[in-house]
Amino acid sequence: MRKLRRRELLAYLIGAGVAGTILVFPFVLRDAALRFFLPGRTVPLVPFFLLPVLWGGWNLLWARRQPRMDIGAWGASLGVAASLVFNLYLWSRDAWFAAALLLVAFLPVVYYLLWHLVVGPLNEALGVEGERVRATETSHRAL
Amino acid sequence: MRTLGLIDRATPAPSEDLWPRLRARIADDDRVALRVPALGWREATALAVALGILVVVPDPFRFLVASGIF
Repeated sequence: MRKLRRRELLAYLIGAGVAGTILVFPFVLRDAALRFFLPGRTVPLVPFFLLPVLWGGWNLLWARRQPRMDIGAWGASLGVAASLVFNLYLWSRDAWFAAALLLVAFLPVVYYLLWHLVVGPLNEALGVEGERVRATETSHRAL
Repeated sequence: MRTLGLIDRATPAPSEDLWPRLRARIADDDRVALRVPALGWREATALAVALGILVVVPDPFRFLVASGIF
């Protein structure tokens, strides 16, 4: 059995934790808005409850591969994928609307901000980024 | 008693002194330094784009719900 490395598991938990915290918006605020301000309004739902799994897995991949890009860009690429999946999902449910195409621009930007400002610093603080930093330090020392 | 003595003698001595490690752990009081990047033009542009899209779309509430973050 392949063992998961500690920092990869930690990366998963950070991604899942941040996305899970964001879920307070759809679970609490949207629910309150629909109940108190827009009663009877129907809205197109996407499987937002899967976001923690998606974010956790994406951050785990980040920790495993350590791609040479900004973590904000890594998050934005997840946003592109998510926006396409959400569009397809809405279309398959006959709930698609033209403005949903703008998700392809909106989600990457929002994901960029969240990954750059929240996930990245947490990764750094909790040691997910440790390996690459240590490797860089070693190479500097060798020079 | 003889058995206990045998077990005691068979147990290897600790390979290193644990006190320095314990002291280091006590000194490190489990605080983490969270370094949030400074907000620059990239972040400002991203925020402006996100808000601009919300202004442009005909039904922002529906749009936000479809985005999965609201």
